[in-house]
Amino acid sequence: MRKVLLIIKREYLTRVRKKTFIITTLLFPLLYLGLIFGTGYLAEKTRANLNVGILDSSGYFTKSMLDKENQLDKSSRLTLIENKPDVKSLELDSSDYDAFIVIPPLDWQKGNNNIELLAKRSYGPEASSLVEAKLNKIWDMVKNDSLKIDAAKQEIMQTSRLGVQFINMSDPKANAKFANAIGLACGFLIYFIILIYGSQVMMGVMEEKTNRIAEVIVSSVKPFQMMLGKIIGIALVALTQFLLWIAFVFLIYNITKASGGGDSVNSLVGGVQQLITSINVPLILFCFAFYFLGGFFFYASIYGAIGSAINEDVREAQSLSFPVTMLIIIAIVMMSAAISDPTGPIAFWGSIIPFTSPIVMMARIPYGVPGTVPWWELGLSMALLIGGFIFTTWFAGKIYRTGILMYGKKPTWKELIKWAFRKS
Amino acid sequence: MPIFDPQFFSMAVLEVRNLKKYFATQKAVDDISLSIEKGTIYGLLGPNGAGKTTLIRMITGIFFPDEGEIFLDGKKFDPLNDVIHIGYMPEERGLYKKMKIGEQALYLAQLKGLSRSEAMEKIKEWFVKLEMQSWWNKKVEDLSKGMSQKLQFVITVLHNPKLIILDEPFSGLDPVNSNLIKDEIYKLAQAGSTIIFSTHRMEQVEEICNNIALINKGKKILDGTVKDIKQEFKENLFSIGAEHLPQSLNGEAPFELVGTKNQQSVVRIKEGNKPNDVLKYLIGQGVVIHSFNEILPSLNDIFIRLVEGTPAARQFQNLSKSSN
Repeated sequence: MRKVLLIIKREYLTRVRKKTFIITTLLFPLLYLGLIFGTGYLAEKTRANLNVGILDSSGYFTKSMLDKENQLDKSSRLTLIENKPDVKSLELDSSDYDAFIVIPPLDWQKGNNNIELLAKRSYGPEASSLVEAKLNKIWDMVKNDSLKIDAAKQEIMQTSRLGVQFINMSDPKANAKFANAIGLACGFLIYFIILIYGSQVMMGVMEEKTNRIAEVIVSSVKPFQMMLGKIIGIALVALTQFLLWIAFVFLIYNITKASGGGDSVNSLVGGVQQLITSINVPLILFCFAFYFLGGFFFYASIYGAIGSAINEDVREAQSLSFPVTMLIIIAIVMMSAAISDPTGPIAFWGSIIPFTSPIVMMARIPYGVPGTVPWWELGLSMALLIGGFIFTTWFAGKIYRTGILMYGKKPTWKELIKWAFRKS
Repeated sequence: MPIFDPQFFSMAVLEVRNLKKYFATQKAVDDISLSIEKGTIYGLLGPNGAGKTTLIRMITGIFFPDEGEIFLDGKKFDPLNDVIHIGYMPEERGLYKKMKIGEQALYLAQLKGLSRSEAMEKIKEWFVKLEMQSWWNKKVEDLSKGMSQKLQFVITVLHNPKLIILDEPFSGLDPVNSNLIKDEIYKLAQAGSTIIFSTHRMEQVEEICNNIALINKGKKILDGTVKDIKQEFKENLFSIGAEHLPQSLNGEAPFELVGTKNQQSVVRIKEGNKPNDVLKYLIGQGVVIHSFNEILPSLNDIFIRLVEGTPAARQFQNLSKSSN
């Protein structure tokens, strides 16, 4: 045990003292936020603002209506083509237009669902739906005029609406709106941690094997202790990083609150407070820690076994770790299904089977325990995960013991499994 | 050899009995028994793939034997608790490249079972002895190959083990560092450590070892002291430095001419004759003799003879090649 502690200490300290640890600790939250907001921003920025020519045969569309709407909504530009040429003679290439809309004769009471947007190349569904929405706003003006609905009535039509909010009666804290976001964030964090730190375990084992220090060490400690020390050491590194992030967020939150800035700050602080009161924070934190460690131990030992089996070649690592990475990716796919339907069969099985439960269950828990996830399901999932990682650690230990001193040809998964089930 | 004599046990630091380790494709170690006495430098010889490393890995507790027993100091070997008594330098040297040398030595010594303060003390002692004090904060990747070999040696013997196992300790070392390590090996043996020295370079062993075992294809084919083995396998060959040695011999001569070496004639004494008979015969022939020396076979020759059963002529060629 003393020796395992020594190994844990070395694995932990050599990693935490590295510059890359400090850099990733600082950069990851920024990258994570960047990923979430950046993609949204980029999608907004790079969206095609179509310049659309309108060939109107209905006579409802006027230049003034289009100009008014172009002022209000800049997502596309609609221009009435006055001289009404034949559709076939339209030259998209030589004109300034990206697309044309040919409006056939219309009945204002019926409308038409098959108006064509003609373009030389494909734009995403979003671009066409924006054009559609804009066209419908103009169509609303046409209908309002025909029905003689004045501005005051239009205001009522637009603003007076009924909203429905989902309340889970057995768990009023389970706010579906926040649960969705928190579940997604938790699931993705565990996914990243398993992938990043799992491959760190693999690379660490590989380093010891290719450096040939493995043989020096196994003459002092058992291979299993060596593997366990490495996995626990790296788990502690991940935990340290995670706690630093929490501290980081806490600090920023408090600084923002104390600064007592303007409305935007107040609304942000209010939003966070509402978020915190709307969920069961201690339960989520506990489950997060559990699934984070359980999932890590489950996969890290497999990654360790792979690291022990390969030689110097990184390509070997890729081909052997591919099936494992695949399982983790399947988990993240199941998670997105589980988030939109947290009580469905995918959500249930995904959160019971230990291959996927760390990610899928963590995405469901914010929806409420026992409201969405009954206690027995949570208990079963946890018990199976514990059983699962004990099994994978045992299994990986057997492979590791053989692999760490085996040089030469790259083994296949079949051979690895043979190593694991061979009696000592 | 009185293997089952209890008196004999008490003298042997390491006793290996009928050890077997079979892998899927080969019998790596096939029924090997050895007994190594305290303070000896014991050579474990054999070509590549003979089973030396597998045997060593069982002695160091890395592998479990399929069959057979290992005794350390007369007690059954317990891999978990006995590692502190063994120092092992594998053939493929390995250290953490990015770790500082001092920390690394401290870590590996503590893994062996030393306390931090003990380890510290021993490291300082050895670093002074081998003039490595300035290395403490360097990284292994900054060392030359010879330097890291030296460090590896220090790490192996740091915890003052009873049994030191060195696998090819001189490979990659220049003559200066080789001698430095050789001297330390002698000193350790004098201080009471037992050293097993595994190699396929037989000529190194003749110089250093008192006892050897020859291993081939998983089996021990020979063991004993170097002197006894050479006596046992000598072929009654002598080199004669003389003027006007008769080129053709009649049947009465007590020897036959087998070749020349370093401008000297090499003769084999016929069965039933003694070296003196050769001299008498030659003096009787009026030959002026400058030198007359016995040629003992090298371990290399003995090994080749044992494992390959090659004809005598080829052995002789081998002999002349290796002695030149």
